[in-house]
Amino acid sequence: MKRLLAILLAASMMFAMTACGGTEAPSSPASGPDAGEPAVDEAAKYAVTEPITITWWHALETQYDGLVAEIVDEFNKSQDLITVEAQYIGSYSEINEALVAAHAAGSGLPAVVVANTDYVASYGANGVYEDLTPYIAATKYDVDDFAVGLLESAKYGDKQVSLPFLHSTQIIYYNKDMAQKAGITVPTVITDFDAFLQDAAKASGGVGTIIPGWDQWYFETLYLNEGVKIITDDNTCDLNSDTAKGVTAKLQQWCKDGVATWAFGKDASANMRQSFYDGKTFSVLHTSSLYNNYVDNCDFEVGMAWYPAGTTGAKDSEVGGCVLGIPAKVDQKTKNAAWVFLQYLCGKDVNMKWAEGTGYTPTRNSVLQTDEGKDFLAKKPEFKAVFDNLDLIKPRIQNAAWAQLATTWKNYMNEMMAEQADINTKSDDMVVEINEILEDSK
Amino acid sequence: MKKEPQVESGRAIGGSKVWRVVQPILAVIVTVIMLFPIYWMIVTSFKSAEEAQLLIPTLFPKSFHPENYLYVLGRANFLKYYWNTIVMTAGILFLQVGTGVLAAYGFAKGTFKGRSAMFYVVLGALMIPLQVTFIPLYMLCAKWNLTDTFLGLILPEAVSAYYIFMMRNTFMSIDNSYIDAGKIDGLGRLGTIWYVLMPMSKATLFTVTLVTFTNGWNSYFWPKIIAKNEVRRVLTVGLAQLKNTFAGQAVSNYHQIMAGAVLTILPVIILFLIFQKYMMTGYSKSAMK
Amino acid sequence: MAGKPMLKPKTKSAVGDFLFVVPALALLLCFTYYPICKLVEISFTDWNLLSDDFTYVGFKNWKWLFAGTGAKYLWNSLKVTFLYSLGELAVTIVGGMLFALLFNRMSRSFGMMRAFVFMPKYVAMSSAAVIFLWMLNTEYGVVNYLLKLIHLTPVDWLNQKSTALLSVLMLTGWRVIGYGMMIYISAMAGISKDYYEAASLDGASSSQQFFRITLPLLSPTTLFLLVTTFLSSMKVFQSVDILTEGGPSRATEVFVYLIYRYAMVDFRMDRAATAAVMFFVILLVITIATMRVSNNNITYDS
Repeated sequence: MKRLLAILLAASMMFAMTACGGTEAPSSPASGPDAGEPAVDEAAKYAVTEPITITWWHALETQYDGLVAEIVDEFNKSQDLITVEAQYIGSYSEINEALVAAHAAGSGLPAVVVANTDYVASYGANGVYEDLTPYIAATKYDVDDFAVGLLESAKYGDKQVSLPFLHSTQIIYYNKDMAQKAGITVPTVITDFDAFLQDAAKASGGVGTIIPGWDQWYFETLYLNEGVKIITDDNTCDLNSDTAKGVTAKLQQWCKDGVATWAFGKDASANMRQSFYDGKTFSVLHTSSLYNNYVDNCDFEVGMAWYPAGTTGAKDSEVGGCVLGIPAKVDQKTKNAAWVFLQYLCGKDVNMKWAEGTGYTPTRNSVLQTDEGKDFLAKKPEFKAVFDNLDLIKPRIQNAAWAQLATTWKNYMNEMMAEQADINTKSDDMVVEINEILEDSK
Repeated sequence: MKKEPQVESGRAIGGSKVWRVVQPILAVIVTVIMLFPIYWMIVTSFKSAEEAQLLIPTLFPKSFHPENYLYVLGRANFLKYYWNTIVMTAGILFLQVGTGVLAAYGFAKGTFKGRSAMFYVVLGALMIPLQVTFIPLYMLCAKWNLTDTFLGLILPEAVSAYYIFMMRNTFMSIDNSYIDAGKIDGLGRLGTIWYVLMPMSKATLFTVTLVTFTNGWNSYFWPKIIAKNEVRRVLTVGLAQLKNTFAGQAVSNYHQIMAGAVLTILPVIILFLIFQKYMMTGYSKSAMK
Repeated sequence: MAGKPMLKPKTKSAVGDFLFVVPALALLLCFTYYPICKLVEISFTDWNLLSDDFTYVGFKNWKWLFAGTGAKYLWNSLKVTFLYSLGELAVTIVGGMLFALLFNRMSRSFGMMRAFVFMPKYVAMSSAAVIFLWMLNTEYGVVNYLLKLIHLTPVDWLNQKSTALLSVLMLTGWRVIGYGMMIYISAMAGISKDYYEAASLDGASSSQQFFRITLPLLSPTTLFLLVTTFLSSMKVFQSVDILTEGGPSRATEVFVYLIYRYAMVDFRMDRAATAAVMFFVILLVITIATMRVSNNNITYDS
């Protein structure tokens, strides 16, 4: 696969604002999907013809109120038919609960709703999200401009059930001042991590790094890069393979030696960040979307480093953040309006605003050649660590039972890290349980 | 600490002199400890974000920040939650008192076949809490489009077996001659309840209703399940989410959370301070029955 | 018990009386009894909140709960619930008794202090829980600060298995101890002081008076507290939900939280319903057992 950055620079597709037009399909490039469809009729089916008010459920906390209001207002002013009301629902898991509950009730559903990349498969498999493929075809919506990995992670099977919205990836934040003083660099291979963590712990007087245990997303990469599949092709779990146990043992050893901390519990995220601000840890593993937050709160220079490569040489990471979709159970009129709004939200201009106002990365290839895109890198130079590796950001594992699997995994990991429980027996117990979950969801 | 657990027992005689001196001191210390969480909540709610997060906490805010309250009421939408809580509580109160008083009359003074069997149906409900039935209830409410509505919040709590039980006992203790006297004056059943039974059991009625009110106001389990959307979220649930929201991935905002906590309990605590006597005996009364 | 004078034709009057209990009964049937039946039905299906339809699967969920992987968590939550209940009972009864002895003096200032000690009962659990969340915060919590002041190591209260349940109990204790106290104080007020006068004439020390007179005479009260507290403590949910969400590693996963998690987090309504039926049976057994034991001490008739 070619490096995505190269593609970014090479690609020159102009993405037209489809939001205002509604029925008018943007001039599509030659590679438009499903060429040969009777576009006019199809597009008419998804046209918005009368005024409608729709709601959008999002997870953008109050700190982004201003930005959300600005973007929604602009959309509302740009056309007269659709009025959007943005509603902050809560964290991703709270949105998930609310959405599934509303889906089951068949009422109280929003028109557009975000979902953590975790949930895409489950929503696709159970028909919670509308399949957007026909919409894309009918309105000739250009999806090729999205980064491939992001677009892939918004799919279930071959159905495009959602579109990439706000995305991030796992990253190591480190204290640059401390690194310079102690002469430490964050190693690029996992095998150097033992020594690095020892030095880093010494330099900070606390720990070398903090690993978020409240979300498996932060550590699953470490397994994947060692060749662990987590869910194998015959739908079983391999987290008790020798390789997987090796990774677990390494993590456990770090916690035991006191060079790393396993963070979990309700205040874990806040506490972890605070420790970093206070210089009590050399580094933390976290999401790239919090870059602004870290920079604003630290009185030292914040560095960003890519996760270390595994012993296999793989140094992939996984996409995080959220996608946008339309609940399958709302009526067609609402869906049509939702589709217009969704195109706007994922559009290039708006995407750039998100990227600037939040810590999320741009999702579109064409974004980065614009002046704003270059400006963005100038303002957030550390993001080079992300851009240099954009093509390494892989979609999530797609399984309808993923959320349940993840909960089980996290619980067992807590026991093995915080309570230093025996890895062999716990891993085996865990896999029995996970296999049952996988079997059940078929 | 437990040295000499003397029976002061109000009027018990004696009790060593040491205890006479130690008791008030110890009592004050314990009271201060018991009040500390409330004090800490109030104090934190007026602190700035930085001051709330000092490694050496300040016992009193260095500067006052009432804007924490404005933030919670405004941007965190507590005004809306207040409204939702008030409507929900009023609805529950109205229905529980209404159905409760009527049923209590029927069971205490009525004469119809199967009365005691039906009363056992009421008592049986005491053993079936919402924590057991919430799944089918949720389905039912979903089917009737009651999720995220006031009716959905209120209906499953419309009847309180406890309320019926308490009022029925009280009505039973009122002699039938009063009722007969009322009938001679031309009172119907409703008139009897309104002009005879209810005035005569004012104290119980008041205490039990206060308990009903606070239970409604403080309820959490069902509102959390049935009203996931902000439009019908109540204070208790909103407060718990205020916590999640910020500690999730943003800044730790205990100064604002504590302001939310104060706002949530304010009405009930004011009621308690006014009607302390009723509200403290309310429980012991039911206990002694 | 029965109404005696009958002024009007019997049946008409009976129908009229019956109408008064109809609203309550109808609502109870609809919102309490019907759901219980439905619950049993769901426990034999494979209903998942995400999917629109379900099929009947016989005893699959029951097997899973008792003999499958579910069993481990079922027993765990039973154990946790039971430990929690024991803790709440201890605080209510022992703590309530000690507080009653401490605060039992008839004066205005003591009356005020009693009100303050009782007040937490009326502090909404949500508020109380976030207050404790804040006070028990590992880094900035005032509790750990006090520990540091007296040169003890700070405790990661809510995030380690050994102290998580204890933390939940601290919150519970704060809210219920005043209640136990009030119940005991009003019961003590009912003890005739003649007993104490006679005893002190016999030269009984005050501790002897306590163990020989007060405690035995308070035993119906204690029994009452035991039964009601036990039953209500089985239903604990909110404090766990806000403080620990059942964690760490399910160390605080009480029964209601287990049901809640199956239903609203995993969306496995089938499993949740099965656990809920099981929970109902437990409540039923405990209620019947305690009613037997209490031997009409706490009957529903007054």
